[in-house]
Amino acid sequence: MNLKSISDCEDQRIQKFINYKLPNHFKKIGWIGFVLSFVILIATKFFDGDYSILVDILKRLLLVFLLIVIMSKEKVEDEMIKSIRSQAFSFAFVGAVAYTLLQPVINVIVASIFKPEKAIFNDLGDFQILWFMMMIYLVVFIKLKKRA
Amino acid sequence: MKNTLKVERAINNFTQEELAKKIGVSRQTINSIETNRYVPSTLLALKLSKLFNKPVNEFFSLEEGD
Repeated sequence: MNLKSISDCEDQRIQKFINYKLPNHFKKIGWIGFVLSFVILIATKFFDGDYSILVDILKRLLLVFLLIVIMSKEKVEDEMIKSIRSQAFSFAFVGAVAYTLLQPVINVIVASIFKPEKAIFNDLGDFQILWFMMMIYLVVFIKLKKRA
Repeated sequence: MKNTLKVERAINNFTQEELAKKIGVSRQTINSIETNRYVPSTLLALKLSKLFNKPVNEFFSLEEGD
């Protein structure tokens, strides 16, 4: 095997990895898991007790199920869907970076107006950023798909 | 870029769904191409050309400013 064919083979492997998508039926599994985790997460607010570990697990499960939805193929995964997907990914990426940079500043400004004693600069947590990014992706993707 | 895909489809008596199935895309993709909301790849254009038995530039053409 010469160097060119090794590099071609490597390239194909990378392409296959980058373009990998779960089969379409995973989308349903993802949404069901997402709704269940969300409902249980909301339910913990209405019952007394220490649910901090459960809440942490549910938050991570929410992100995993959202990722499954995002990673699943559409019924017909054609080139227009790929183009919409990449548009939604880039929008979500830029949105998440802007949100991560601006939201803490906005929080401080709003707090300094209404509760100056609580106006402390806090970075956003990983859950908040990832949740925002994935929700933006899904909203943009669904919106663009409906427009098509 | 403008196209006469709708006309070609009518000549060949295909519905959007039928044409979509023949070239392996969704009906929405055909609709988006017809309404100029999506510019297809060369691969898809060539598949259409083969199906209609016509050169690509007979149903896809550049507009001023393209």
